[in-house]
This record gives sequence, structure tokens and C-alpha cells, in this order.
Amino acid sequence: MRRVFTTLAMTLAIVTAVCAGANSVSAADEYAYDLVHSSITFKARHLDISWIHGRFNEVDGKFSLDRESPSKSKFELSIKTDSVDTANKARDEHLRQPDYFDTKQFPTIDFKSTDVKAIEGGYEVTGDFTMHGKTKKITFVLKGGKEHDFKGTKRVGFSTELSLKRSDFGFDKNAIGPIGDEALIIIDCEGVKK
Amino acid sequence: MPDPLLYFKSMCVAATVSAIVVLAVVGSTRPVSKARLNFACVVGIGFGLLAGENALSMRLVWPPMNGLDRFLTIVIPATLAVELIAGFRSVPDWVARFLRIGLASMIPRILLHGSVYLSGSTKDWTPWELVTLLAVCVALLAGVWSLLSWLSRRSPGASIPLALCLTSLCTSVTMMMAGYIKGGIAGFALVATLMATTIVSMSIMKRAGAPLKLDAPAILGIGVVGLFGLLIIGRFFGRLSTSCALVLLLTPLLCWASETPLLRQRKPWVVGSIRLMRVAIPLVVVLAMAKRDFDRNLGRLLGKVEAPTFRLDRERAH
Repeated sequence: MRRVFTTLAMTLAIVTAVCAGANSVSAADEYAYDLVHSSITFKARHLDISWIHGRFNEVDGKFSLDRESPSKSKFELSIKTDSVDTANKARDEHLRQPDYFDTKQFPTIDFKSTDVKAIEGGYEVTGDFTMHGKTKKITFVLKGGKEHDFKGTKRVGFSTELSLKRSDFGFDKNAIGPIGDEALIIIDCEGVKK
Repeated sequence: MPDPLLYFKSMCVAATVSAIVVLAVVGSTRPVSKARLNFACVVGIGFGLLAGENALSMRLVWPPMNGLDRFLTIVIPATLAVELIAGFRSVPDWVARFLRIGLASMIPRILLHGSVYLSGSTKDWTPWELVTLLAVCVALLAGVWSLLSWLSRRSPGASIPLALCLTSLCTSVTMMMAGYIKGGIAGFALVATLMATTIVSMSIMKRAGAPLKLDAPAILGIGVVGLFGLLIIGRFFGRLSTSCALVLLLTPLLCWASETPLLRQRKPWVVGSIRLMRVAIPLVVVLAMAKRDFDRNLGRLLGKVEAPTFRLDRERAH
């Protein structure tokens, strides 16, 4: 009986030590995407004379920041294509159709980082960007990363701008006429520490 | 942007290629057997579609990414293959029927593959509703196909495939006016090739001195599946309403109106004309409603500004 108790106690001690050790080596902070204080907007040329602006209202994401070893940081973002909003209901409905976002077939636009490098004033992030069923590797500069404690909740903010060609992601070339091929995506996001 | 000239060109290309292929396959054989004519129609439709889609710069994509890709890359070739096999004289009727039923039961599932409807990422559909939806789609396709095939055997004629062509053309235009341009134009080549195959088949029969009663199951099968496929992608991926899609799918069944005792004994051209007129009436109503919705919604996006909100006075600007 004593032997059983000794074995159990030792097992418990080892497990506790392993867990404690695991916590101490993990320096990454986990953040959840804060939809209230974030925005993903885009603009595209109209007839090559002006810009059409829009935004996605439903976004989900998370990121982990490892300030000591930035390459271990991770960024993930998932945008619901159905939430496209250009302040014109008819145009939004048109954009949801298969000639554009095809929201019934491709309900999300996803980004998942594969490599993160610390640079001055932020991070250089490389990852897989999936839109319209096609995945391409993209690299962009994420500015920010300063943590702010607001009423006991730690927040971190980032912003970036990236330019994408719709034709690279399988959009119908015939639909690339009045609306330009290139779209500028502006991401300003805040993360709340979990 | 819609390019009517390009669509017309693609239809001409599809129709010409289909006609040439059908004539080449039938050759100078007399009398033309039903099996040979059916084979010529399948091959003609296949090549015509390829040529027409190529003229529209629509390529067969593998793996297919969306509903339209699956329609063009899987559903249409599978239908051509089934009709090709079913048309051989050595193939028993029950095998042909089995193949057609098997195809009809798979088409809705194929077209909706990978979409929010099947992946469960939409809260609109429970699994039970989804099963019901697929079953209803299969039943509708099988029902329309069976009823038209029965009519075609009972009272054959070119008016049935032509009614399908009219309905498919109307479906294409309606889809485009609802905002799904690429889906709509995919139907143009199909319409042209079916129409050309029907007309050439009729002329071959006339030349051979056979009675002008066209009974080519291949044209009918591909026509029904083509129409159904367009409606499914228009309804589930585009903005085609359920009522509009149902009306368009059921409209060719109005050809049955010619089977009333009063009309049945009339001359074939009278029966054919009555069938086409009956089919045309709901199609005109659907088109008128689609145009009204287009003007109300998408017309404004194409530059129809209701009232000027500001005026740029270049002289005073300085």
C-alpha cells in the first residue's frame, strides 16, 4: 500500500513539475481579435478615375506574440465574405455573387502566418492568404505591437496595408473591367489578451 | 462587363461546330438509324459546347473550384457519357434508365459540393433540411426528365428540344440580369449547340425521307440536365429566386398541353407551334420581372444616376 502511495505522489510531483516548466518556457502572449476596435477595409479603382471603398463587418482571428523569439509568433485571420459592406445594398449583393466573392462557395478569406520577423516598428509577416479558393504566399509589414493596459485588460494593436490583384485569386477576368484588378486592403486591428 | 457581340459569336461558333460534326458523323448513311443519329447528336453537342465555351474564354478547370466549374467539367461530360452509352442499340432500356436515374440523383450533390450548404457553415440549413432539399432537387430533375421523355416517345417532335432551348436561353438572360454574368453566359453555348443539333437532325430526317418526328433522347437529356444545372447554380450561388427557378424548370412541361384531345390530332407543325407558344408565355413574364428587378437594383450600379447631387462649375472653381 505504501509503495502505491509513493508511486502516486512521485507521478503527481513529476506532472506538476512538467506543467510548471512548460508554463515558464512559453513566452508567447495570446490575443483574441477585438472586432469592436478593429476594421478591415478595402478600396478598388472604379473606371480608373476614382476609388470605391468597402469593409468587411465580420472578422475572426487570433494571434500570439512571442517578444523574445518573434519567429514563434503567429497571426491568424478569417474574414466572412458575406459581411462585405460598400454602403450600397445592391452592390453588396452583387459582390456576394460568383462573379466576385462567391460567398456561398467561399464563405471566408483566410490568412495564416508561416514566418514572422521582428523589424523596426513592427513585424514582417509571411503567410498563406486564401481567397476565392486560391492560396498564395504573401508578405507584409505589420506596424505596431505596443501593449497597452486599459482598465486591467491588456491590448495590442497593429496596422498594415497590402495590395492584391484579384486576377491572382481566380476572380473572373470579365468582371475585371469597371472595377480595377488591384485592390488595396487596409487592416487596423486590436487584440485583447486572453 | 457583358459583351453581347462576344456572346453572339460564341453561339455562332457552337452552332456551326455542332452542325458540322452531326453532318460528318451521320455522313451519307441512308436510312439513318435512331442509334446513329443519337450518337451524332451527343458528339455534335460535345464538340459544339467545347468550341462555344472556348470562344467565351471559359476553360474546363480541374479540380473544379465552384458550382459553374463543376457544371461544365463534371455534370455536362457525365451527361454526354450517359447519353452516349444509353443510345447504343445493344444497351437494354433498363440499363439506360438506371444510368439516367443514377446521374439525376448525383447532380444536385455534385453542384453543391464544398459550398456553405453542404459544409455546415451556414445556420440556414439543418442536416435534415439539407437532405430534404437534395431529395426535392433530385425528384424535380427526374420528374421533368421522365415527363418530357414520355412526351417525346408519345408525340415526338423538334418542339420539345426547342422549348428546352428557349427556357435555357431565358434562364441565362435572367441569371445575368440577377447579377451572375458568368453563369448566364455559360448557357448560351449550350442553347446554340442544342438548337443547331435539333435543326440539323430534322433536316437529315427530311433528306432521308423519314417522317419529321424527331426522337433523340440525347438532345432531350442534355437539354434537361443543362437547364437544371443552370437553375441550381443560379439559385444557390447567384440571386435567382426559388419561385423563378421553379417556374423556369417546370415551363417545358407546358408542351404537354398539346396532348389534349382537341389538339393531339392536328398537323405536327401546328402541335409544335402551340407547344412553343405555351412555353413562351411564362418565359416572357419571367424576363419582364427580371428586367424590372434589374432596373430597380443593378441598373443604378451601371451609371443610371437618379438626380445630380452636386455640379462642378469649372469656371467658378478658380
